[in-house]
Amino acid sequence: MKRTLLALAAGLALALAAGPAAAQQKLYVYTSMKESLIGELRSAFAKKHPEVKMDYQSAGAGKLMAKIAAERESGKILADVLWTSEVPDFYQLKAQGMLLPYTPREIKSLVNPLPEYDGSFTAVRLGTLGIAYNTRLVKSPPASWQDLQKPAFKGAFGVANPALSGTAYMSVSLLTKAFGWEFFEKLRANGAKMGKGSGQVVDDTASGDLVASLAVDYITLDKIGKGATLALAYPPEMLVIPSPVAIFKATPNAEAAKKFVDFVLSKEGQTIIAHEGTLPVRSDVTVPAQYKLPAVDDAMKRAIKIDYVKLMAEKEASVKKFTEIMQKK
Amino acid sequence: MSAAAPRFGTAQVLFGLAVGILVIFVAVPVLLIFFNAFWVNGAFNVADVLKVLRQKDTYEALLNSLVLASGVTVTGTIVGTFFAWLVTRTDLPFKGAMKVLFLVPFMLPSFIGALAWKMLLSPRSGYINRFFQEVLGFDGPVFDIYTYGGIIGVETMYLFPFVFIQVCGALERMDPTLEESARISGADLFTITRRITIPLVLPSILSGALLIMLYSMAHFGTVAVLGIEAGIYNIPTLIYEKIHQSAGSFDSIRTGTVLATVLVVTAAFILWLQNRVLSRGRYQIIAGKSFRPTELKLRGLRYPLLAFCLAYIAFTIVLPTVTIFLVGGLKTYGLPLAAENFTWGNYRHILFEWQLTRDAIWNSITLGLAAALITMFAGVIISYVIVKMKVRGKGILEFLGMLPFSVPGSVIALGVILAWSGKFGVNLYNTVWIILVAYIARYMAFSLKANSAALEQVHDSLVEAARASGATMWQALRDVVVPLVRPGMLAAFFLIFLPALRELTVSVLLYGPTSRTIGVAIYTLNEDGETVYSAALAGIALVIIVTGEVVIKRFFKTASGS
Repeated sequence: MKRTLLALAAGLALALAAGPAAAQQKLYVYTSMKESLIGELRSAFAKKHPEVKMDYQSAGAGKLMAKIAAERESGKILADVLWTSEVPDFYQLKAQGMLLPYTPREIKSLVNPLPEYDGSFTAVRLGTLGIAYNTRLVKSPPASWQDLQKPAFKGAFGVANPALSGTAYMSVSLLTKAFGWEFFEKLRANGAKMGKGSGQVVDDTASGDLVASLAVDYITLDKIGKGATLALAYPPEMLVIPSPVAIFKATPNAEAAKKFVDFVLSKEGQTIIAHEGTLPVRSDVTVPAQYKLPAVDDAMKRAIKIDYVKLMAEKEASVKKFTEIMQKK
Repeated sequence: MSAAAPRFGTAQVLFGLAVGILVIFVAVPVLLIFFNAFWVNGAFNVADVLKVLRQKDTYEALLNSLVLASGVTVTGTIVGTFFAWLVTRTDLPFKGAMKVLFLVPFMLPSFIGALAWKMLLSPRSGYINRFFQEVLGFDGPVFDIYTYGGIIGVETMYLFPFVFIQVCGALERMDPTLEESARISGADLFTITRRITIPLVLPSILSGALLIMLYSMAHFGTVAVLGIEAGIYNIPTLIYEKIHQSAGSFDSIRTGTVLATVLVVTAAFILWLQNRVLSRGRYQIIAGKSFRPTELKLRGLRYPLLAFCLAYIAFTIVLPTVTIFLVGGLKTYGLPLAAENFTWGNYRHILFEWQLTRDAIWNSITLGLAAALITMFAGVIISYVIVKMKVRGKGILEFLGMLPFSVPGSVIALGVILAWSGKFGVNLYNTVWIILVAYIARYMAFSLKANSAALEQVHDSLVEAARASGATMWQALRDVVVPLVRPGMLAAFFLIFLPALRELTVSVLLYGPTSRTIGVAIYTLNEDGETVYSAALAGIALVIIVTGEVVIKRFFKTASGS
């Protein structure tokens, strides 16, 4: 009986594990992109490069960097490629000599939002953050960042935890640069809350736990596509955050990593990215009109500018300051 | 014992193995925790430990752990004792069935329960709160699950069986003549309850209560799901936060080890207390069943109380389970529960398309099987040495064997990180092997308990007879002992396999990109805002767990029947 049981379990397990056949090249990507985006890219990449077995870990940028730091301690970084939205991390890794410079094949077709470009990392998309609001609960869309201090958002505006989420960290930096810390102090006075990850605040807005949140474009649009009663509003000062991709110098899979970088920057890869509802870095790819995203030029013009290299040194202090403000009673 | 070669036989090999397994898997990780907590830059250092403990987030977490665990212990004990009394000492209808039903909460992993309650009772969007506001016209949310009360309530729902089982057992075993004689001597029911019943059952109540306390103290899932956003951390969630979010720096690992030390000391204290309670309370209450205990006539309350019990089960088991399955079928979180919003897509995606969840299911099943098999065999060897062999140094072994009982999951995980991430030549970090090593340490206690209970029933004379008839030690073990303890070994196997399937506290600290377990996948999906996928996977996990339980119950019934 015990044997039958074991055989049963083993059989079930085997059935579940029967995946694609072994490939020669391996590739591991650490990314903060959510399943809806990276999952699509993975399938398309697998079709185009069947010789590479690509896998990924999707988690907030803060968590991934913690993982990488721990892996460095233990002597081996599992990731071959890093792709998040926390731009200062990339300048830091570059300064530490951890990255393998690689100029993508189609560099000429790309828009580059990153200063001091030397191929160590290349922007793959221009993430935008707006205000996602639940249309059941908010009738007049917010037109400016200051609108969030109005009673309509009392006690129920959410920002993801900048220690976990790269987009949240960058947004906090950009908004404090534009409006000072008092912007968040006023939000907190209106009962704003700090949530967990960037996806979770959007889900909580969809459920109505929050009436609105600081939200990443494609995460919100994915949920709208599935029927969530959400809408995305962009105040005039825009939060545009490039998401760079980089290859680790220590990788034994550099060839596969280069293929991946070229793929996500190719017309095909960029089209997938645009169709998920986020801005591409190629001018020959456009975002479907139904998403109502601003055009790349317009977004870049409206974007709050910031010095990434300077940000590098400030992270710990500003996360701490933000946490203090948001936990004030 | 001479060291001559011919005397170095099976006994010595067994002893060596037993010590080796316990030292490598259990003692080393725990010692490394203490070492890292108290040893800074090559010197013993208590001042630093005190400094860590004086930090606001640390002592708040300690306090929260205590408050939450005490709260759950009190409510869980009341609920557990009440229901146990109801199903054993009253004339409640369908008592047998109700008794089985009250054990069902054990099957439901409490962090899945917490997820469900979040969906039902979160202040603005919880389905129950919305019902109160939209249908009954309340002004604001009626319940808030993100509070101490909410966490205590949810943990109580899934932990009270610890007390329930113990008290049921005691009440059933109790010699009814004691109560009878009191009654004959003219005592009324109140006096009998106060002077006879409660004192007799008290040790069982206390020991169940301490089990709840031990579990709740070291419990990760519920607090992680319901507490973190409201700023309520307990020790395990703070350890998780330190390890995962503060970039694995030595400072955060040290804070983790200090917290872990506190947890171990508290757990050891609780166990010590439990031992004292049990040893003092060893009344001779099992004295042959001459009479059936008198049942209290509930009279007019019979059916109302039955309805209450059924409502309790419906509210704590059926409602959350149904919620999990329904939300798992929604196209996206937040949609009303209406037919047009449901899809099979999430379940299909999780089972057949998504690498992450398929990995998780595969990992949990294989890890569970491997941990159960290895721990089962190791447990037999170690229990044999402890229970049966007369070897010098057995005292150390007994102490080592006790260790896993008092070491909470997050502590084992932290110790395993310290021991197996390359500092001592073996690097298992980021692989499933590190989780396996931790599971072995964590579940060794279960195996030792089941196996030593079985071994104590095997009389020494059997082995001696075999040896006298010329069998070698090895043959005696193989042909006499192992067949006799097989039920104990099987019990150990399942006692480990089923909890390992839904494990969260340990694996959440150890998982790497490809080594997520089911528990970790459910938890991280929820954290990442993939609520519907998280619920769908939780639903699938419930199906796997319940199937496992049912198959095993069946199996044990046929095994004991034949």
